[in-house]
Amino acid sequence: MDQPKVIMSLMFFTMSLAFYFLATAFYIGYWLTRKDWMGQAGTSLTYVAGFSMTMILIFRAVESGHAPFSNLYESMVLFIWAVTIGYLWMERKYKFKVLGAFVMTVASLAMVSAWLLPFRFKNIEPLNPALQSKWNFLVKILEPLGLEKYAIGWLDFHVFATFIGYAAFAISFAVAIMYIIKIRYEARSKKSFLFDSFPPSKVLDELSYITIAWGFPFLTVGIVTGAIWANYAWGTYWSWDPKETWSLITWLVYAAYLHARVTRGWRGKKAAYISIAGFLAVIFLYWGVSFILPGLHAYA
Amino acid sequence: MSSLWKLLYSLKFTIFVIMTIALVSIIGTVVEQGRDAAWYAMEYSDRWVDIILKLKLDDMYHSPWFTGLLILLVVNIIACTIERFPPKWRVLLRKVDKVDTGIIDKLSHRDTFNLNKNTSEFKSTLIALFTKRGYKVKADDVSGGGIALYAWRGIIGRFGSDVTHVSLLLILLGAIIGSFAGYKDFKAVYVDTSFSVPDSDFEIRLDKFWIEYYDTGQIRQYNSNLTVIEDGKDLFTKHIWVNEPLFYKGIRFYQSSYGKAWDRVAEAELTLASKGVTKKIYEPIVIKWDELTSIPGSPYSVRMIGYLADFAYDYQNENFYTKSGDPNNPAANIVVYDSSGEQIATTWLLLNHPDLLGPIPGTTDHLYLTGYRPTHYSGLSINKDPGTNIVWLGSTIMGIGFIFAFFIYHKRIWLSVEVQEDGINTVKVGGIINKNQLSFDKEFDGLVAQLKLEAGVAETLQDNEED
Repeated sequence: MDQPKVIMSLMFFTMSLAFYFLATAFYIGYWLTRKDWMGQAGTSLTYVAGFSMTMILIFRAVESGHAPFSNLYESMVLFIWAVTIGYLWMERKYKFKVLGAFVMTVASLAMVSAWLLPFRFKNIEPLNPALQSKWNFLVKILEPLGLEKYAIGWLDFHVFATFIGYAAFAISFAVAIMYIIKIRYEARSKKSFLFDSFPPSKVLDELSYITIAWGFPFLTVGIVTGAIWANYAWGTYWSWDPKETWSLITWLVYAAYLHARVTRGWRGKKAAYISIAGFLAVIFLYWGVSFILPGLHAYA
Repeated sequence: MSSLWKLLYSLKFTIFVIMTIALVSIIGTVVEQGRDAAWYAMEYSDRWVDIILKLKLDDMYHSPWFTGLLILLVVNIIACTIERFPPKWRVLLRKVDKVDTGIIDKLSHRDTFNLNKNTSEFKSTLIALFTKRGYKVKADDVSGGGIALYAWRGIIGRFGSDVTHVSLLLILLGAIIGSFAGYKDFKAVYVDTSFSVPDSDFEIRLDKFWIEYYDTGQIRQYNSNLTVIEDGKDLFTKHIWVNEPLFYKGIRFYQSSYGKAWDRVAEAELTLASKGVTKKIYEPIVIKWDELTSIPGSPYSVRMIGYLADFAYDYQNENFYTKSGDPNNPAANIVVYDSSGEQIATTWLLLNHPDLLGPIPGTTDHLYLTGYRPTHYSGLSINKDPGTNIVWLGSTIMGIGFIFAFFIYHKRIWLSVEVQEDGINTVKVGGIINKNQLSFDKEFDGLVAQLKLEAGVAETLQDNEED
């Protein structure tokens, strides 16, 4: 059995790892010292890291001959990529560089966990029958060009949408933690060098909401396209498999968040705690279910 | 009664129900679902088995108490909709008769500046400006030469939550219809055999089953060719594989598994050998299942009527059976005919024990089973679920609801021009958005900057309109 060629993507992964560490270090440095050049360096490195992650995805697609969303390692890359793009977009729009210290820490931790995966997770496995979900019309269009193996289907949409959702929730989680810290200092109305540079709690609450307002529809699209795929592959759109159930649990937690935010006595702090609980549910849904609970999703 | 009703439509109750469903759902991911009582007895202590079976935790998502929680959610959604939707509809879609700009002083986004322009000219500028920004505008002339203006956009965003709630009810309705009017079944089908589909008026025949492999030996795909037969006629044939089912008359047929048959083979290879005075080994012949085949150069014809993968003899019941599904001791049941078509023997030929059963009776000719090609069965899942399309409809509507709720904001601007006694006209403008305050800060500042420009109090547009 000849080894699949994953050299290029692994090389970019190693480089990305360094970029994430450096970007995080500069963002934290910026937060601790408030030196502008550190913030600039953090932002620049995050752009580089985002580009490097894009290259991993492109090379994985070339190396494996299918959309690069088929196992835990590839999905981690997609997740971190989406966190990075989402964060850069937020920084451009709202210009709070101090968020980078928290969001990029989450991204770096995710990079480390992907890096620690054993090699067999990083290698390319041929797709099993259930994972070969391709739209027939696309196969027919691409066949004359000899590119039919690059045809995509519901599965690719399912993974892509789901991980955009997870990424938004990760950003919201980092912001919610900042919110919890910030309101404690606001309540004491004491000066604090570290936390005065945080945006006002009202703004953090808004940012946490905006990211969930992106993540929730994407998670929903992810669940629905997953159901459509399951309906093709397994003959039923919902089978209460642990992964499905946990995705529903996560969905419900964020639904609770959205309702809490418009409820007197629940907005603010309690909503922030729900956002944190929601991301913990995401982590369990993503890693916990795959490694602890048995089920149809056991391969990813 | 009214306090119960208040509870049912309260958001706190919503949060309570949602969180309860989320929390109890965890149980079913920890306790394996759908096993039989014996399995739980093996996995858990007696006390836990008792709890699991009493609370129906073995199939909790279909248990009465879980269904009860879902009903609570449905009741909550319906109560909320009844309570909140009609007044919202009335208020939001009410025709604006008279613009009341008194609200401006209560808004957090507001500004005041002078007007250095003619009022009526300014009014038409305003209408054009707001229309260009996608707002609907109602502008009144106020006695004394002033203007009272109200501009709004994105009302539909306020109905996103209602659309989403209705879509959730639709999805649940689809699930209910599916569980009452549908069924799930499984059939192991051999090539060239057909079966009648439950709850329908047609048959399905398996024409071909095959497996594709990767170079590494891993399975790439399972495939079946299925033909739909109706009123005795072949209607059409479809190639199915995992991820590509056959759909006909509301019933789906999925490739779900496969296996080797233990009681039949596709072909067998037989070898005839004469061990009398003239010794001769004939060319091996391949015979198909249940098909009369003559052995060239000999007076015999043979027919294969049986096969057992793990052949054994049951002395008590005096019959043959297979000890397992694996081909540990393959045996073919062969009927032998002479040249006149007379049946002369029925015998079992064993692949691993060629000389167990002597020659064909009355001759010195021996028949051996020297090979075979197994028959696979194709495992088909059959699923009828008339609720599926309602679930997809609900999902689509949910998507529309999300677009309304998360990406369309209800923005309202009030503007008044007051003619002061000293002849200087002042403009007061205030605005409000239903969500996403952060983006509105910028938009409002940009709007005010543009208004000031039009009012002649600012020379250039400040660069804070950048998004």
